[in-house]
Amino acid sequence: MKWINTLKLLFLFSIFNISNAQNYYLYVASESDDTVSLLKFSGKNIEEKERISVGSFPTEIEGPHGITVDPNGKYWYVTLAHGNPFGKLIKYSTETNKVVGETTLGLFPASMQISKVTGFLYCVNFNLHGNMKPSSVSVVDAETMTEITQITTGSMPHGSRISSDGLKQYSVAMMSGELFEIDALSLKISRKLDLEDHSKMNHDKMNMGKMKHSTVKPTWVIPHPTQKILYVAGNGSDEIIEVNLDSWKITKRIKTEKGPYNVEISPDGKYMVATMKSVAKTSVWDLKSGTLVKTFDNSTSVSHGVAISSDSKYAFISVEGIGGEPGIVDVIDLKNQVLVDKVEIGKQAGGIAFWKKEI
Amino acid sequence: MKFLKLLSLSLFFFKIGFSQDKMIVSDLDNLTLNLGEIFKPVSKVILSDGSTGDCMNIIYYNKKGVFSSAKSITFDRSEGTLKANEPGTHEIVAVCIDSQGKRLSKTFNVNVNYPKIKEIKLSINDENIYIGNYVKLIYEITDELDNKRMVDYWNYENASKYFSKVGVTLSSSNKKVKIDESNNILAAEEGKTSIVVFFDGVSAKIDLEIKMNPVVKLDLTSDAFNARSGDVINFSATAYDRKNNELENIPFEFSFTGKSFDKSNSASGLILEDGRFVGDVPGKYIISAKIGNITTSKVVNIFPRNVKREISNVGRGIVNDRHTSDFWIFEGVDGGDYGVTGTWGSDGTAFFWDVSNPSNLKKIDSVQVDARTVNDVKVSQDGKICIISREGASNRKNGMIIIDISNPRDVKIISEYTKNLTGGVHNIFIDNNHVYALSNGERYYIINIDDPSNPYEVGMFELNKEGQSIHDVWIEDGIAYSSNWRDGVYLVDVGNGIAGGSPSNPVSFGNYSYDSGANHATFPFKSKSTGKFYTILGDEIFPNGVNPNGTNETAGFLHFVDFSDLNNPIEVARYELPGHGSHNYWIKDDILYVAMYTGGLRVVDISGDLLGDLYKQDREIGYLLTGSPNGYIPNDTMVWGAQLYKGHVFYSDFNTGLGAAKVSSNKPDNSKTNQYIN
Repeated sequence: MKWINTLKLLFLFSIFNISNAQNYYLYVASESDDTVSLLKFSGKNIEEKERISVGSFPTEIEGPHGITVDPNGKYWYVTLAHGNPFGKLIKYSTETNKVVGETTLGLFPASMQISKVTGFLYCVNFNLHGNMKPSSVSVVDAETMTEITQITTGSMPHGSRISSDGLKQYSVAMMSGELFEIDALSLKISRKLDLEDHSKMNHDKMNMGKMKHSTVKPTWVIPHPTQKILYVAGNGSDEIIEVNLDSWKITKRIKTEKGPYNVEISPDGKYMVATMKSVAKTSVWDLKSGTLVKTFDNSTSVSHGVAISSDSKYAFISVEGIGGEPGIVDVIDLKNQVLVDKVEIGKQAGGIAFWKKEI
Repeated sequence: MKFLKLLSLSLFFFKIGFSQDKMIVSDLDNLTLNLGEIFKPVSKVILSDGSTGDCMNIIYYNKKGVFSSAKSITFDRSEGTLKANEPGTHEIVAVCIDSQGKRLSKTFNVNVNYPKIKEIKLSINDENIYIGNYVKLIYEITDELDNKRMVDYWNYENASKYFSKVGVTLSSSNKKVKIDESNNILAAEEGKTSIVVFFDGVSAKIDLEIKMNPVVKLDLTSDAFNARSGDVINFSATAYDRKNNELENIPFEFSFTGKSFDKSNSASGLILEDGRFVGDVPGKYIISAKIGNITTSKVVNIFPRNVKREISNVGRGIVNDRHTSDFWIFEGVDGGDYGVTGTWGSDGTAFFWDVSNPSNLKKIDSVQVDARTVNDVKVSQDGKICIISREGASNRKNGMIIIDISNPRDVKIISEYTKNLTGGVHNIFIDNNHVYALSNGERYYIINIDDPSNPYEVGMFELNKEGQSIHDVWIEDGIAYSSNWRDGVYLVDVGNGIAGGSPSNPVSFGNYSYDSGANHATFPFKSKSTGKFYTILGDEIFPNGVNPNGTNETAGFLHFVDFSDLNNPIEVARYELPGHGSHNYWIKDDILYVAMYTGGLRVVDISGDLLGDLYKQDREIGYLLTGSPNGYIPNDTMVWGAQLYKGHVFYSDFNTGLGAAKVSSNKPDNSKTNQYIN
């Protein structure tokens, strides 16, 4: 009889554990493998649940670059950078990981996000090819998968992120050193900010006409979830730039390791996490105190993207690798500031998007 | 429990009572606009009780998107207006965002009127119309915006689509002609008549004179009585009047019927208006020439082409730890025979091979560069320089790598060149001291490599149009043949002199495109047997996209375009292998060596005049399936390219690496295939 009671206790204990076990799911694009990996993290271990081939030409590299999940978690979207010549946006069901729609975008469509208000997806057309010229942000109705318009911004736009109220889209132009704010409803540029003083630069020898060039080389922008500020990664100037959204002025420049690339802020607004592409590291700041908490060595070279779990507990870092090396996703426990686990995926792991937390 | 039921019921009715259906209503609904008209739509949200709902912002867009091909309706978002640019029915989506950030959308059909027809002109090319002949009417239609469209007798597929939209009726002034339900006009009786055409309220008239057929006798001659399948026979008809005088300018109509020698097969072929005939299938064919009710015929026998030969695999250089891409076989500076192969979706490696003994292909060196795909590899004519393309470089600069291969057993990287090539180089070509390198699939740059350690750009060629796209470039005799997907092949003078071009001043002088828009490769071909000049344009199509779990389905074919008249290229033939698509190919001595991806390496006789369906004509000499149990994907044939070199057909296969095959002079052993034939 005693052993039956013990079994009952064990059963209850296991039920308790199961009910408290939380799994985290995310999607990561591997640009040089034409694959997207669905990853599951248990809180201790991360594993690849599925590797999905994307694209339509088995013998051409189509380059899945940006990835995002819609606000209700029903669909994920990936951009294919290379096309004929325009890239594509492909929509997949999170239930089946099968294609449900697609549309053509501009040259080298890259990062993107969906506004919870308009339901539109705002995607930068990175266009890093040849002579630098202004590119655009494509606006797509994710419901009908129609590209509604292309809004011309700066040269090599990157880092499309939406404000938490869903009403503004922000991107930076890497080669012209500008920050753009687009009104998500009017689909027009509402504000633009030079991230450096272009008047002191001599462009005479660059044969670029009226085109600006940048030493800051901004690659990412992330608005704070609750405060009227945003942060820009200065990939060329090794800094993260804080911009006040009310005054639309730069309020702080935070020096970083070499080559900050992607930046994200935890949903609770506590942590800022940035990849340092050039040195294969990831830095974490406490935004309340404004201090750098820790810089992690990533598991391979060329640190790329950041996704943070909805409960603000974990940061997932995509790391590209070089040549034939696999891409890797590192998991950082933000509370304890430790690297928890890693998983190998396809080559040149880049775009990364958190999907859901599940009990 | 009762209480709970009551509660849930009351909640249900509470919900019904307070939730209202809502919809967008708009003056866009079934709106009809004229071409060029600007319209400012007014839309609002209406609740089910008829009251107006919350719609803080409304956004309109064209469901076709914004790409150049979809600018049928465009929007001026500052003014809140739309403009009708193309006739037809267009779907316009209205998205309403309320003050709570919730969206509602509805699609409206907007009709844009075809511009009214202003004028129609009717004409015919035939000088004489004889009883019994059809009148080949040509319509020139000018609309109120002065757009002109020509509809001729032979493109009735397009004409019928247009006619069904604008509504067309034909009538005649008397019974000298008969007009059928498809608007074909048959000359029936001698005399004068008028044809009146009504297009959407606009009419046009043409007066015709139907003549008695002066022909009482026809002679039909040909340059052959017996031929092989695929051979073109030229028929010529001569007409005589009652006095046995030869008549000029007679609009003969040629046709044929036939029976296959093989009872279970169908005779098939093609005959053109000028009397050229080709039989696809061995059999007896009756060729007829007709003028009015006078006909004459001639019988020709089409015999088997009989070109089948044995093709055997001689040697393999298996690469089974990654995919293989393009390759090149060359004579080294030491007189030995060598090869280079690229790799796909891997670690940026290119392999060098000793192929002096095709039955023993030996890997002798390799280079690894910062890339994931080395899609293309080319070698200079003198065998000293190899250039490999880069895609997927970790710094995304890509470009190309120049390699010293004076000693193929110890190759050395000389330089890297990335200027303007950051988007990835998919294909390259070396012609004398210049490299032609594709940039991001949009254009090609021409780079001088006199000093391979200091390459520099001298020129660039692009179509200079929105959505320009390019997949390959091939140079021969100072002419660059670029394959530009939907824009087809462009012939560009880069030193030939035909159009005054040079590497620093590339000048386009010829173009041909076709409907599928899948032009992926082009090879110039001067027929040794006929002297005719063709460009052979290849498709690349994966109709079902990527299949990660097995063999990929491929489609598309080779288009043979007679480019003898640069200003009037004519597509005359195709090589289409049922169920398999084309990739890269090579031509030597009127023989085509083509990689048909999943269909294997195919060797095809393209001698003589080319007309019609070359596969049906049994011109195929033989084939080789290149999959291997030891392949990267076992037993999965996926041939990438082919090259004839010193009597052997070398090939690269996506899954197996490099291989060498031999076309034998022996006919294949059909004893097992035909074991039941007496």
